[in-house]
Amino acid sequence: MEKQSRIKAYARFLGASFSANFLAVIEYRANFLLQVFGMMLNNGAFALFWGVLLGRTGGIGGYGFTDVMFVWAVVSSAFGLAHVLFGNIRNLGRIIMQGELDLYLLQPKDVFLNVLASKTIVSAWGDLAYGLIVAALLPDFGVGRFFLFCVLTATGAVIFAATFAAAESLAFFMGNSQAISGALSEFLLSFSLYPETIFDKGMRWVFYTILPSGFIAFVPLAVYRGLDWRLVPVLIAVAILYAGLSYALFRAGLRRYESGNQMGARV
Amino acid sequence: MRCGQTRGRVGGGRVMSHSLGAYAFAVGRKYGLAGATGLKTRLAYLGNYAGSILTYGLFVFVFSRIWTAVFESKAGATGFIAGYDRATAIWYFIVAEISVFGFGRFFWRLAEDVKSGQVSYLLGRPYSFVGFHYAESMGPALVDAVIFLAEGFLLGTLLAGPPVHFGPGRAAALILSLLLAGSLQFFLQFALAMTAFWIEENAAFFWIFQKLALIVGTLLPIEFLPPRAQAVAAYTPFPSLSYAPARIAVAAGIPEGLRLVSIQMVWLLGAILLCEAVYRLARKNLSVNGG
Amino acid sequence: MRIIEAKGLKKTFRAKVKPEGFLAGLKSLTFPQFRQVEAVKSVSFQVEEGEIVAFLGPNGAGKSTTIKMLTGILAPSSGSASVLGLDPQRDRTRLAMRVGAVFGQRSQLWFHLPPADSFRLLGAIYEIEPGALKRRQGELVERFGIGPYMDVPVRKLSLGERIRCEIAGALIHSPKVLFLDEPTIGLDVVAKREVRALLEEAVRTDGATVFLTSHDIGDIEKVCKRALIIHHGEVVVDESMKDLKHRALARKFIGVKYAEPVSFELPGLVPTKTKLEGGASAGSSGGAFTQASFVVDTRRHRIPELIRALAEKGEILDLTVEDEPLENIIASIFAARTGVEACDAARPVAESAGGES
Repeated sequence: MEKQSRIKAYARFLGASFSANFLAVIEYRANFLLQVFGMMLNNGAFALFWGVLLGRTGGIGGYGFTDVMFVWAVVSSAFGLAHVLFGNIRNLGRIIMQGELDLYLLQPKDVFLNVLASKTIVSAWGDLAYGLIVAALLPDFGVGRFFLFCVLTATGAVIFAATFAAAESLAFFMGNSQAISGALSEFLLSFSLYPETIFDKGMRWVFYTILPSGFIAFVPLAVYRGLDWRLVPVLIAVAILYAGLSYALFRAGLRRYESGNQMGARV
Repeated sequence: MRCGQTRGRVGGGRVMSHSLGAYAFAVGRKYGLAGATGLKTRLAYLGNYAGSILTYGLFVFVFSRIWTAVFESKAGATGFIAGYDRATAIWYFIVAEISVFGFGRFFWRLAEDVKSGQVSYLLGRPYSFVGFHYAESMGPALVDAVIFLAEGFLLGTLLAGPPVHFGPGRAAALILSLLLAGSLQFFLQFALAMTAFWIEENAAFFWIFQKLALIVGTLLPIEFLPPRAQAVAAYTPFPSLSYAPARIAVAAGIPEGLRLVSIQMVWLLGAILLCEAVYRLARKNLSVNGG
Repeated sequence: MRIIEAKGLKKTFRAKVKPEGFLAGLKSLTFPQFRQVEAVKSVSFQVEEGEIVAFLGPNGAGKSTTIKMLTGILAPSSGSASVLGLDPQRDRTRLAMRVGAVFGQRSQLWFHLPPADSFRLLGAIYEIEPGALKRRQGELVERFGIGPYMDVPVRKLSLGERIRCEIAGALIHSPKVLFLDEPTIGLDVVAKREVRALLEEAVRTDGATVFLTSHDIGDIEKVCKRALIIHHGEVVVDESMKDLKHRALARKFIGVKYAEPVSFELPGLVPTKTKLEGGASAGSSGGAFTQASFVVDTRRHRIPELIRALAEKGEILDLTVEDEPLENIIASIFAARTGVEACDAARPVAESAGGES
């Protein structure tokens, strides 16, 4: 009973948080539309690039045009969803460093979730929209495929959020970790958007560990191509694992923060 | 009192009271100092470099893998597509991206200056509005470009082997072409930034410009575009931004090189005139409407 | 019930020693040296229900650290704290449900949204039933007079209006303890008065216990009934506001105004200021005045005798007898260089000849 009411309370909290985020963003309608447009323009330009290149070469690393479009769609929407729901994932380091965690520590909700969910990134809505639209335009589109796409987007979003948050949590341990977390997000995004096989076998283990492009893009592509639902529970499990590890890292850092031995103890 | 009047009076006074040589020296010093100050500010934030250097390196690496995969599957590792072989395609990309990384983001700072009203403050100063910003922006940009050039050279040699047929003549032409490309970038972006005088939310214009520049000559050599697109592109300034220096670096012979550079110069001139025209229009508006 | 109880709270930080010179800087990279910083040496106090306590101290005294230990943000190096019977560290979430906070310099309300939306979110955070939330919100809105602002984006509100909404938001879950940090900073006189009245009412109506940190003397004087002063990591003053004002420094300021110029000398008492209003003898020399101010050391002079002496000198038009301003008292406590000195500054001086003790 206790557990159930806790879950309900958190569901209400996250719902209210999202609603507040959405309202705050819609407050500036023009800017919102502009940002959405901008992101779609950006993603569309790369679609054009791939269209031209593949038109010339017929296929790269086993990827045809549809494959590239799918990967862009699922990565876009996963990335977008992660930043729509947990807009503070890439601000976490800065929040830690500037002592802004204290406000969240005073509230009776889990700090990790509270901090991450208390902001939404406007342009990410554009990424999400782009991904969904492109998915709808893919061949063989249907309810089943769309549902599968949504599941893959959800797992991708969790993995994105967990990885970015973990990189930012390094701020607890090493002060200014902006360089590392910035690099990590660049790399993760870039590698996810290009065919896996163009990279040496030697480095591919990276895509299934610290830069989980494998779980965000490559495996989902295989799943989607073959409409193979068997791997979906695996992806869900992986997403939960990444989330758990990220949470654990944050809590370890928070313990350190509470002992106060972090850089420049602010008395 | 209107800003224009102040400027005219002071400017006129200076010309009349000094000799031409002293004037040239004063002007040169003015812009030189502007460039140097911008440069010093840039170097003070060396930490910011790490981000772009990493990103540039990452893109170069990823595209080298793409081109490797393309040539292995399609034409064999020694084949040619659209006149490029594997090494040439990689080197092309390396040079093309320098234009983007070194000279591709003037817009934001310029638009900020225009919007924040810094402008009215600067309009009263006794030098060319456009020229001042050019010096201020190009100083640090040149340093950036050199850094990316060095990084690109290193990565290129590692990933695609040493550049072929790259002698001092080609090097000099490349430098000239990059300078022209960079300047063209500046003036085009400045013209776009100045639309802020009329439309505050002008980021969309720049985004469109940026994406077009990316597709037309940066991500892919123009020879890869469909023939009709190539024909249309020839009438735009985009080939002069990335394609020209990249082409000169990897493949162009002397006649082609001369042609590319001349086209760059023409576009540059056009862009400068455009900027001055927009600026004058803006000033007229300002003094009529009162900033 | 003891709302807050602190016993021997201690907090020591490890701070890196900043290296001087290039070689030392290199060494510091591989073998960093640390020194101990005792932010809080030993702090003990108790706060009962319904009290309004001023928590004061100069910057660097250990104020923020102590509050962070009380709210569970920081773990003490040793000692214990208990708030509402809970351990702030272990039961932080449970405690957070019953504690409210207002930071003058940082807002809990969402900047681009109307307060109504922030309240809805706070309702979800504090798990308030929607019906109860509506009732509570209605009650607070009426009490605080913020009805017209509830649907206006916070960014459009004036500072005074915002702070009122802020405090209402902090009270939405009926906390038993309210921590306030500089709540009136930047407000004009009228707004300050309103905020202070609201705080007092919160104590009366909601039974909240208030723990207020402020650099504004008015806040402290007018709202708080008790003062806890911390300096050099220790509590140097812990007494009621009344006692603090009356006991410290044993000085009084007397101002007297006469109808006609008078000239006199009181043994051992030199006026700090004199003024001569154009009297009959305009050119009268040395020492004649119509108004004078004296600083009286009550150890040396008894007020009743002093007043009698002044009255004998001429017809008095006006007479004021004032305490040392609280500001001076606190300033001298803050200026003390050690904890012992600070305690001395606050304590009445040894011999108080016949004065009230």
